[in-house]
Amino acid sequence: MRFALFSLCALAGALVLTPRPVVADEPKPLDPAAREFFEKKIRPVLVESCYSCHSAQAEKNKKLKGSLYLDSRDALLKGGDTGPAIVPGKPTESLLLKSMHYDGDLRMPPKGKLPDAVLKDFEKWIAMGAPDPRADSALAPKKQIGLSYEEGRKFWAYKLPIAPAVPAAKGDWANSDIDRFVLAALEAKGLKPAPDADRAALARRLYYDLTGLPPTPEQVDAFVNDKAANAYEKLVDALLASPAFGERWGRHWLDVSRFAESVTLRGFVFKEAWRYRDYVIDSFNADVPFDRFVREQLAGDLLAFDSPDARKRNLIATTFLQLGNTNLEEQDKKALRMDVVDEQLDVITKGFLGQTVTCARCHDHKFDPIPTKDYYALAGILRNVKAMEHSNVSKWVEVPLPGDPKAEEAVKKHEAAIAALQQKIAAAKKAGGGTKLATGVLAVKDVPGIVIDDAAAKKVGAWTASTHNQTYIGAGYVHDGDADKGEKTITFQPEALPPGRYEVRLAYAPGMNRADKVPVHINSADGEKELTVDMKKNPPIDGRYISLGEYKFEKDGLAYVLVSNEGTKGHVCPDAVVFVPLDKKEQNDPPAKKGPAKGDDLKALEAELKKLQDTGPKRDLAMSVIEEKVIEDAKVHVRGSVHNLGEVASRGFLRVALYGTAPSLPKAQSGRKELADWIASKDNPLTARVYANRAWHWLFGSGLVRTVDNFGTTGETPTNPELLDHLALSFQKDWSVKKLVRAIVLSHTYQQSGSADAKALAADPENKLFGRANARRLEAEAIRDTILSVSAQLDATRGGPTFPANLAADYSYKSASLRRSVYLPQFRNAIPEMLEVFNAADPSTVTGKRDAGTVAPQALYMLNSPFVIEQSKKAADRLLSENHDSDTARVTRAYRLALGRAPTEGEQAVAARFLKDKTQKDGWTAVFHALFASAEFRYVK
Amino acid sequence: MQFSRREWLATNACGFGSLALAGLAASEARAANVPNPLAAKPGHHAARAKRVIFLFMQGGVSHVDSYDYKPVLTKKDGKQLKFDDARVLANTGMRGSSQRVMKPLWKFEQRGKSGKWASDLFPEVNGVIDDLTFVHSMHTEGVAHGPATLFLHCGSTSFVRPSFGSWVLYGLGSENANLPGFVSIAPSSGNGGARNYGNAFIPAIYQGTPVGRAGAPASEATIRNLAPGLPASVTEQHFELLRELNAEQLKQKPGDAELEAVAASYELAWRMQKNAPDVLDIAKETIETQKLYGIGEKATDNFGKQCLMARRLSEAGVRFVQVTYGDNSANPAWDQHSNLPKHGDHAKAVDRPIAGLIADLKRRGLLEDTIVWWGGEFGRTPYAEKNGTGRDHNPGGFTTWLAGGGFKPALSFGATDEFGSAAVTDKVHLHDLHATILHQLGLNHEKLTFRYAGRDFRLTDVHGRVVKELLV
Repeated sequence: MRFALFSLCALAGALVLTPRPVVADEPKPLDPAAREFFEKKIRPVLVESCYSCHSAQAEKNKKLKGSLYLDSRDALLKGGDTGPAIVPGKPTESLLLKSMHYDGDLRMPPKGKLPDAVLKDFEKWIAMGAPDPRADSALAPKKQIGLSYEEGRKFWAYKLPIAPAVPAAKGDWANSDIDRFVLAALEAKGLKPAPDADRAALARRLYYDLTGLPPTPEQVDAFVNDKAANAYEKLVDALLASPAFGERWGRHWLDVSRFAESVTLRGFVFKEAWRYRDYVIDSFNADVPFDRFVREQLAGDLLAFDSPDARKRNLIATTFLQLGNTNLEEQDKKALRMDVVDEQLDVITKGFLGQTVTCARCHDHKFDPIPTKDYYALAGILRNVKAMEHSNVSKWVEVPLPGDPKAEEAVKKHEAAIAALQQKIAAAKKAGGGTKLATGVLAVKDVPGIVIDDAAAKKVGAWTASTHNQTYIGAGYVHDGDADKGEKTITFQPEALPPGRYEVRLAYAPGMNRADKVPVHINSADGEKELTVDMKKNPPIDGRYISLGEYKFEKDGLAYVLVSNEGTKGHVCPDAVVFVPLDKKEQNDPPAKKGPAKGDDLKALEAELKKLQDTGPKRDLAMSVIEEKVIEDAKVHVRGSVHNLGEVASRGFLRVALYGTAPSLPKAQSGRKELADWIASKDNPLTARVYANRAWHWLFGSGLVRTVDNFGTTGETPTNPELLDHLALSFQKDWSVKKLVRAIVLSHTYQQSGSADAKALAADPENKLFGRANARRLEAEAIRDTILSVSAQLDATRGGPTFPANLAADYSYKSASLRRSVYLPQFRNAIPEMLEVFNAADPSTVTGKRDAGTVAPQALYMLNSPFVIEQSKKAADRLLSENHDSDTARVTRAYRLALGRAPTEGEQAVAARFLKDKTQKDGWTAVFHALFASAEFRYVK
Repeated sequence: MQFSRREWLATNACGFGSLALAGLAASEARAANVPNPLAAKPGHHAARAKRVIFLFMQGGVSHVDSYDYKPVLTKKDGKQLKFDDARVLANTGMRGSSQRVMKPLWKFEQRGKSGKWASDLFPEVNGVIDDLTFVHSMHTEGVAHGPATLFLHCGSTSFVRPSFGSWVLYGLGSENANLPGFVSIAPSSGNGGARNYGNAFIPAIYQGTPVGRAGAPASEATIRNLAPGLPASVTEQHFELLRELNAEQLKQKPGDAELEAVAASYELAWRMQKNAPDVLDIAKETIETQKLYGIGEKATDNFGKQCLMARRLSEAGVRFVQVTYGDNSANPAWDQHSNLPKHGDHAKAVDRPIAGLIADLKRRGLLEDTIVWWGGEFGRTPYAEKNGTGRDHNPGGFTTWLAGGGFKPALSFGATDEFGSAAVTDKVHLHDLHATILHQLGLNHEKLTFRYAGRDFRLTDVHGRVVKELLV
């Protein structure tokens, strides 16, 4: 069996929606004139232009579109996904005719509008009552897709958890109820728990699980030698309280929230995303209740706050909604808007609810009780949220953050200073009658920047050269003769512009008979920008140029300015285009080599303004969202298409998981707050289960539901449902993540060793019952952080931005940082190599469970990457700087540092043999290199 | 899909090649029981071709200036006519915008024995034109490069879909245990970058391996981390130490599948390190062969080397090789929105290497079971963009060609309208082309599925038709 996937183009497929009431309108006996009209004017058009997609034959050919058949009267009246095709007697209410008029979203036939005469015929025919002699065609039987709500309610995940009876446990193995549930499940299969892990191994496991870092040999010794009955509990509490806990558990959540600091296309960087990363880390360290964590991320901007700091935090939290890998250059902006909504829905529903809701974008979910209408009920909420400013290449929304009162005051003062200066400039302009004009001819070589004179530009149509104005660059300028509007263009394109940022200026010859709305297109790495220039006005810069704005240009990329005379009235008189480099500051404001030299007050003022704008205190920004001005419900998008809208879906939630009364959604607000309330509610059967299961997965390497992101009917069912409900209900009491983690790691279950007898292996080969510990591959971050810990190079700096603020694109960015891996820039086009080869989370998808595969590129990386070799040297330096009295002691130390255990005799012997003929430095570097590369280094027992 | 422990290992362990082990006798015996997920395996039906070389012309070659002959463009050059421009349509929903017809800048003539109309944009390729199968009625999704490039490689404008090569490797495995099964030569970092040779949600063993990168000289192209940068004797000693360490660790956990898998991955990496540089070394070819590809001449040296590298990799059993002619910008190589004559420079760079590749494959008998696939992410408009000096993107109609692997030589299939604006006759969607190439490799595009997030995914989504008319 195969499954339809959504995609914007998934128009085909044999999916059918729920039946609609058929308009019961018996055909009247046709009079001969009506029949003739139909046969002559209507049938041929239907056959010619419509049947190929809307008939029983089309269905046979798998070409049926929109569930609409036009080959019988009944089918016509019944209509397709968007409702009845015609209303007899009412042409204006007939969708068929509306679509043929091409004046709505739905335009038919798609190949082109039919002639007006044909439209008139159809109008007349419908007004006649749509006389139609055709018999019924073989209508496809319509069927319900997926599960109904009633059936869905019987599925475990959609039932509310009920406190399970705690089984009585024999013996004293059980530390807590968690253990009682585990033990009962094992005993039911005649199995026993594994023996305890040895204390050193347990310490290592706990350090990794709670902090992502290895314990030092001293820390292991301290725990092993602590004879107190509560030694383990003390260690757990100490690690939960350490800031590294937030870095570890925050990173887990960043996997789920597809945290990234750039988008794939064009590599635009999210300068402010680091604030969200820090917010997440801080939240786990502060043990912010999970229900609040949900509300902040979904609707922080709508929440009440009691201090600027709280407000700041709330706004930053909503970056969660903005981290999608958005296709900013999608040209159909209606579609893009829904793509953003879809991505947000995907991360919200998978992340918090373990649901694959986005399957229902184009059709009812095929397996789960999620109809398309529920999808658009949720989508309607997010559609009311502005995430993007749309243009050729759209841009995500950023909002100013409140600062502390002192910073706020400084910003206000600065803004006032700018305003004052701007006023002064305006006054000076008025007094001086505008900009002073430079006059005369300026040779191309004297123009600072890269110049394309009109003579070097590519012209389409007849442009006339002129020198009449006497102020121009090069040999003159050109004009269009105020003729052949729309037929002339001139393209200014530099030969191989060095990549970087430029201010682009257009020089033109002004005058009263000039055009005032000259279309100018600038093509750069930022996309295409269209402006109009008023050539009646004197050029504001030096009397020669007008600035077209600042743009980024990349190597081999587009770089040109096209001036057109389309739609203009008056002469279009371009002279030259200048690309002024901005990356070198000294060229920022090129002084005119000729022209007014003395007392140019205005110019000085403008320079001062620019300096002030560049240097003054700025308000911090965060990626966030803004409520749309118009709050509305969404319509169902038939087959997921923004151009084919069906019935209205009132905003709401997943009905199958909605217990109690549905909260009513505000008319003046998107409904995000209510959505967050529903997700964070104890009456939601999914949220607590999903997070408790994630925590279990992160601590055991496998969830109680092993498909951690999919609690739907295609996911796996819990291997110990009572335990899952027990954890969920305990978690829900106060939503404390730290308490949840603490309870799990204090269980005896967590403290088992990995050894298993033959019986256990045979009865539970996949360890679904958790009767032993799983060997787990360390995450990419932990591997790197361990290497840096062993080499003593780990930079412990916490938080803050991690790449230069002026970085324009992420392509081939390499970070030399030695900070913890959670603080490496998470660039979608430049994922730090080590994170990439060791399967760090794909920052474009919700990743509850990482891949832990072993592939050859990992081996190549460990063998040959400069990072590993360099850190091996540093580790050797460290070892050799320490006080050890023999190579045997050094080997022991190296093993304890790298693998957390002492070497065997065999390992001592191998090292001794190898070191025999090497210098100290080379020998120990190679030993550490081999230890880092060795198989065991990547695993935690 | 339920995995047993062994099967799990098989799909997750061990990278590019087989688990055959050189150094670890204990592991070797065990490994023999592990099915190798990359071992060559039969497809769904008898295959006509074994491998693919995809020549990606990044940015979009103009079909009306190369292979789609439209005399009316010359007749009506400069006339303002109404067209349904894809960008205008996406932006505004408006059909029939006014555009200035622009004639082809290269001269069309009938070429080869077949009398195929082709311009002199690619004179050398015209010399092998009777070996090619043209599809003139291509159409695809995405007006902008990003989406269209992803669609070309992954059959979707989404960022999280496995690429064509990954699907092929997943379906057929590899024929060489010492090399990656899917190689992308000089991939661009722009317009989806690594996503275009990524495995997305299918196991990482199926990911593409980049060799070099766009914009860097082919002479420096290699697989990353392949070179140890130390003298061979030292490297050998270090590797021996690692082997011994791994063996000692295995002694303490006999039979541990994960540790064995890591140890095995080092053996494979070691073999790759030894073998891959040779395969990538084009100096091993005769001067005559190098000349055939235009190596040594300024304009063609770089792409010539990349094409020759592709042939060597294919010959060595690499299942899917892509060579990208492009760069890392958002508007790459062939993207002549302005200054259409620039197309000539790009054509010069690729023309002889491509003709050389076809001739070389043919004389070695490799063309029989190798599919060469040439094309961009879309075509270009038959009218000037904004009445300027270039052509805009055209996803609604463009030309691509194929050679070898059971495609019918000297065939021109499908047609665009009289201007070359939109595919109208025997339309071939990119999904259809994907389905057809898979078919030739012995794979049924409807059966080649992978279960992820509760759904079975396909390269062709819910679409695709095998275009049998193209096949011998």
